[in-house]
Amino acid sequence: MSRLAPVLVIAGFLFLLVAPGLRAQNSWPTSDSYTSAADNNSAWILPARTYSGNRYVPAAKIGAADAAKLKKAWSASVDARGPLEVSPIVWQGTMYVTSSHNDVYALDAKTGAVKWHFADKPHVIAFSANRGVALGDGKVYEATLDGHLIALDATTGKVVWNVLAAHDPRNTFFTMQPVPYGSMLLLGASNGDWGGIGYLSAFDAATGKRLWDWKTIPGPGEPGHNTWSGDSWKRGGAAIWSGIAIDPSSSTLYADLGNPQPDFLGTIRQGSNLYSDSMVALDISGGAPKMKWYHQFIAHDTHDWDPAMPPVLFTGTIGGTPRHLVAAGDKGGNFWVLDAATGSLVYHLAVSTQRGQNTQPSRTGDIACPNTNGGVEFNGGSYLPQTNAFYVPSVNQCGIWTSPGTAAYIAGQFYLGGAFPKQYGPSTGYVNAVDIGTGKFLWRKHLAFPQIGGALSLSSGVVFTGGVNGDFTAYDAKTGAVLWHYQTGLTIQGPPSYYELDGKPYVVVGAGPAGVNFADPRFGQGAPTLEGTYSHPVRAVITAFTTP
Amino acid sequence: MRTIAAFAAFALMLACMARAGPARDDHGSAIAAIADVQAAVAEIVRIENGDEIGRDAYVRAAHRALNALVGRDGENYARAFGDPGDGIGTLGHVDRMLDQNATLRWTPAVEGAKANVLAAAEDLQDAIGERELEDYQIDLTRALANLALVVGRPSTDGVLGGLSGALANTDLGVPSGARRASACKVPARTPAYGVRAGRLVYVALPRTIAAAQVPVGLDIRSIVVSASNVVLYTGSASAVARSCATADPPPALYTREQARAGAAVYARYCLQCHGTDLQGTAGPAVAGTEFLKTAKFDGWSLRDVRTTVFENMPFSNPGSLTPRQYAEATAFLLASSCYPAGSKPFPQSDEASLAAIKLGPITAAKPTNAKNGTCAVK
Repeated sequence: MSRLAPVLVIAGFLFLLVAPGLRAQNSWPTSDSYTSAADNNSAWILPARTYSGNRYVPAAKIGAADAAKLKKAWSASVDARGPLEVSPIVWQGTMYVTSSHNDVYALDAKTGAVKWHFADKPHVIAFSANRGVALGDGKVYEATLDGHLIALDATTGKVVWNVLAAHDPRNTFFTMQPVPYGSMLLLGASNGDWGGIGYLSAFDAATGKRLWDWKTIPGPGEPGHNTWSGDSWKRGGAAIWSGIAIDPSSSTLYADLGNPQPDFLGTIRQGSNLYSDSMVALDISGGAPKMKWYHQFIAHDTHDWDPAMPPVLFTGTIGGTPRHLVAAGDKGGNFWVLDAATGSLVYHLAVSTQRGQNTQPSRTGDIACPNTNGGVEFNGGSYLPQTNAFYVPSVNQCGIWTSPGTAAYIAGQFYLGGAFPKQYGPSTGYVNAVDIGTGKFLWRKHLAFPQIGGALSLSSGVVFTGGVNGDFTAYDAKTGAVLWHYQTGLTIQGPPSYYELDGKPYVVVGAGPAGVNFADPRFGQGAPTLEGTYSHPVRAVITAFTTP
Repeated sequence: MRTIAAFAAFALMLACMARAGPARDDHGSAIAAIADVQAAVAEIVRIENGDEIGRDAYVRAAHRALNALVGRDGENYARAFGDPGDGIGTLGHVDRMLDQNATLRWTPAVEGAKANVLAAAEDLQDAIGERELEDYQIDLTRALANLALVVGRPSTDGVLGGLSGALANTDLGVPSGARRASACKVPARTPAYGVRAGRLVYVALPRTIAAAQVPVGLDIRSIVVSASNVVLYTGSASAVARSCATADPPPALYTREQARAGAAVYARYCLQCHGTDLQGTAGPAVAGTEFLKTAKFDGWSLRDVRTTVFENMPFSNPGSLTPRQYAEATAFLLASSCYPAGSKPFPQSDEASLAAIKLGPITAAKPTNAKNGTCAVK
């Protein structure tokens, strides 16, 4: 008896500690939830699940045999004013998704029933897109097409605060999913084709107050400033607008910086144009970030071949030795592997057809490949430790590029020094599996349609990705064999997420209209075509799949 | 207890005084500020002309000029020498004008004037202390130069325009209580002052008015005489003319036939991203309230819009339409934004004159779709 008493006391004490958490209807992710997100299969709380940027699920409950039997669990229709690029966030049975025009939905992750809906009507500068929300402390955070950062009450969807977060809302908007880190929200500005200078900002998650900005182009007196001729740096671009990765153990933030501007006219911005088309590693342990290293992928780009893929941090095995690596992919069709500590190149390989890499768009037009929406796109790919392979979809297109030799800045319009290329030849795609040990393909599938849906890899050896023709497919990670596929009837431009609820595994993906960038005359009946009449697709759907 | 009550009463009194302060009359303050400068200048000129000689006379003149500038509440005011000004002083008037939250069109000019008053006051203070006549005269010359900048010249409203520049070209020139009107349209009832974005564009007077009633110091660039009015246009008129161009009546920029043909071009090549209602789906709104608001916010001219349509659209295949199709599509968009049709077609080739036409909300528009502010093209 006397030996049991202390145990009871301890048990009672533990109950007191735990009980408030059990009783609360809503608790929210904390800093710890984010840093330990890898271990929580019931949630998906960061854009790519963890700060590493790698859409990989350990101890996943969908094996190859299960994948073949996947069934639609539910689907939910959302606002269809543009393509769905959302990366769904899941926390305690609720899923948070956005539409292209910044509508936000809280869905029951088990049934798809709408818990609340925040409707928005933002001013659209160029094209509509949104990649999702951040969740924390009872709030859902969204960055909008009109340059605002909005905090909604996570239980009601009502606006808590709304701040203008863009410095110049004439040429700047947001598509990126905000990333919570400590008490901050990290957000990059989309202004890289509209005559701005890119920047990454940190906001106080409680109030929306700006904490710091990190500019992507060195100003006068800063190292690298001399890589821009004359005043060209002032509208130099290099936006951060797809996603970031963070290594919390070293407080290092990895970001890929976009193309230089004007996109297609290099003569007025001679030099290598730092830090455009580069990956940077930033020390964010203090206030404003300090650069640790940079690696420029394409110096003096004149084709808008920016590294659209968000960085993926992973430990891969090369020559039998585990190495801390960071992967990147660009619209020029390159897949890059760098040393995460130093930024030095390990290797790169072409994942799309390349041609005319050293040409400049001319008045009469030059053919170069990939096209502006080609190569590796904004959803990137995923590393699977079980196969030591990296899975990254790509787009195979060529374009005819022209530049009149002049560039005019018009506020709120593209600042290109030319026009976006006309597509030339066929439009296809690849799903690539890169053997990290060798830097060669483990396998690759050449598909009839562009592939931009990112990749979700499961420890069970299953890889999911979606194509713009609407196919959502599960591949055998080792062989590339198709285990299962589902035709959404819409285009897939967003990445899949994974979660478990009441013991069951779910995979979820959004599909919607083709939008500006991936319209394709082959979509057939009901799909858009430039050659004749058509009915505009008006549906956007979030679909969740589960095992029987 | 009594102390607290007395203090409370005192505080209340202060609060009441603050609230019951004299009404603002910035125009009046500016005129009075200039009068004080003129009083100071008169003192300096008098002594420089040699009307009086001797050290005492020199010191006295400098003190009197200084008093007119700083006013009786100002630093180095010396009551014993008398004050040729109104006692408030140029500085007092200028401070009164600047003591408000808003930054107005004329604020920079008045801030510049204040800096120059302070410089002139310093010159006069120096003059008072000089031992040699030559040094005294150098100080006075500097003071005169600085005071010339305080008054300024009526051709600009910037810092160097000084007080008279602001009076001549900004709404500082509108007397207290005078009628303000749209800068874009002279009203039937005059006298009236045309103001837009803080600029004074015109003074419209009835033809019967006496010449003496024409405001002093106006920067008159042109005079338009109508049946009932004389309208005096200032140097600000040209700056405002462009923004007035978007007001009524909106210009006719295309033909009806073009707009009708443009509807088919739009349906085939543009609708996919910009929507059946032109309010945008994957792409932005291209007609109506939302579009015109953006055009104004971003300062788009018709040439900017032309460049975007002809050179960057359709997004997936830029430059792929014929010049005729582009002109028709542009005509359709203008018609959808409720710009009226005319006899001259929208040009198929670039014309520099399009840069002078600024797009923006149309006040006289009668949209057929009130929600979107668009007009059906028939």
